Amino acid sequence: MRKYVKIYLPFTLNALKRQMAYKGAFYLFILVSLFSSFISYYLWKAIYTSSDQATLGGLTQEEMVVYVFMVYVTSSIVMSSISNYVSEDVVKGTVAMNLIKPIDYRMSLIAMAAGNMIYRFLVPSVAIWIGLEIYKVTALGLRPVTAVEVLLYLLSSIMSFLIYVLFDFCFGMVAFFTTYIFGMMLAEEALLGFLTGQLIPISFFPSAVQRVFDFLPFSSMVYTPIMIYLGKYTGRTAGFMLFRQAAWVVILYVAGGLIWKRVTKRLVVLGG
Amino acid sequence: MNQCKRYLRLYKIMIAQFLKTIMQSKVDFLIGLFGFFFTQIMGIVFLYLVFQQIPNLQGWTFEQLIFIYGFAQLPRGIDHLFTDNIWLVGWRMVINGDFDRYMLRPMNIFFQVIAEKLQPDALGELLTGVILVAGSLAKGIVIVDILHVVLFFVSLVAGAVIYTSIKLFFASLAFWMKCSGPFLQTAYEMADFAKYPTEIYAKGVRFLITWVIPFAFVAYLPASFFLKNDVSAGMIGIECVIAVVFWCIAYAVFHRGTHVYESAGN
Repeated sequence: MRKYVKIYLPFTLNALKRQMAYKGAFYLFILVSLFSSFISYYLWKAIYTSSDQATLGGLTQEEMVVYVFMVYVTSSIVMSSISNYVSEDVVKGTVAMNLIKPIDYRMSLIAMAAGNMIYRFLVPSVAIWIGLEIYKVTALGLRPVTAVEVLLYLLSSIMSFLIYVLFDFCFGMVAFFTTYIFGMMLAEEALLGFLTGQLIPISFFPSAVQRVFDFLPFSSMVYTPIMIYLGKYTGRTAGFMLFRQAAWVVILYVAGGLIWKRVTKRLVVLGG
Repeated sequence: MNQCKRYLRLYKIMIAQFLKTIMQSKVDFLIGLFGFFFTQIMGIVFLYLVFQQIPNLQGWTFEQLIFIYGFAQLPRGIDHLFTDNIWLVGWRMVINGDFDRYMLRPMNIFFQVIAEKLQPDALGELLTGVILVAGSLAKGIVIVDILHVVLFFVSLVAGAVIYTSIKLFFASLAFWMKCSGPFLQTAYEMADFAKYPTEIYAKGVRFLITWVIPFAFVAYLPASFFLKNDVSAGMIGIECVIAVVFWCIAYAVFHRGTHVYESAGN
């Protein structure tokens, strides 16, 4: 374990440092990604005023506001993409270098993603989270979140992060087959936005569709931690959800390893 | 007139060159098209799910919102198809000195920038737009008479010009700040606000997207003219004025920018 930390920690630190170097651009990106949160915020407000029911999809208007902004906080922790690194390495051929080094390529990528995650968590997310919590208690009149909920939320988010990164690694393998990963990433983003509950809570889907989602890893990425945070999953349900997340981490870890083995067998790198 | 002919001929030659480069990777083309198409479809599914819960959104029906959504894709797609190269000016051409080559040729510089590339990904957006608008026509919720049909096409062109102008303006800032990509992206993404009726937003936001970065005029406002009888044709008139004004400002900034451009020497 110590040896692992010693090998992979530098990747994490490196990613952190790199993020620090481009602060200006980064703040603008925060602004851009907050745009969509505000669009959803206004849209949901209009939707609730147009509805004659107080709750839609099991959420009240106040809870929906919290949901929308927690989506932002959670996705900035969870969605730390590595498939673009994979595609860059494959297209440039530097992946060959990674194959001859005595390290696990996937672990190094995950360590790097962890660095990005920590930075994004510390810089915008915590501030937005605290702001949201204050707004929630003072303006929306909801009860403050409990310490247990925060702990469970963080635990669940870290698992979400692992699920996302491991899935994204499998997805990045596409780069071995096409060089134009931009379009694929766009499609991935759109699909994930939907299946993870970023765009709309999973509870809005017809129940048959929800049944199907139960067997996919996606709702574990964003929806589960937020439901825990909102106090919709408590006690045994919360335990079961966390267990399901853990199961997905294991499954995707094994699957990613297998795919990687098969793909690298047919890899051809010219020059170097 | 001769000038015009010359540029048309040049455009044909340059685009032919570009088409040859994409022919070598047909799969990439399909993937890009699929990516953009898919992103748009998800937006529709979202609206569909929401409308399972409510009868209308502040007076707008599901069908009307679909039309606004689809209509918004058309000017966006047109601009995306023809002027995608502007992004590269903002992101990297100025900072790494690639812009040199435009300065050296005896042709209009802006013309060269846009003639260098067509973005086939845009067909994903255009396809969504055409399908949704055609669907709305079939449902009969859109007003169809000579005036509306003519103004429909005028509005598409004006909308595309507004898009191009906003992109060109923010990309041109790169001549002074070397890389203006993040600003360009920020401005461009504001277009997402205009996919829905602007009445749902707070006053400040509404003002911003109507008059400062006027994306409301490429989507929601003209679309409401085609949907509702009580909106006057003046709406399209204002759209055209805005398109012309923004184009003049953006082109002036671009033109000044090319004078202060200094190459990244080595």
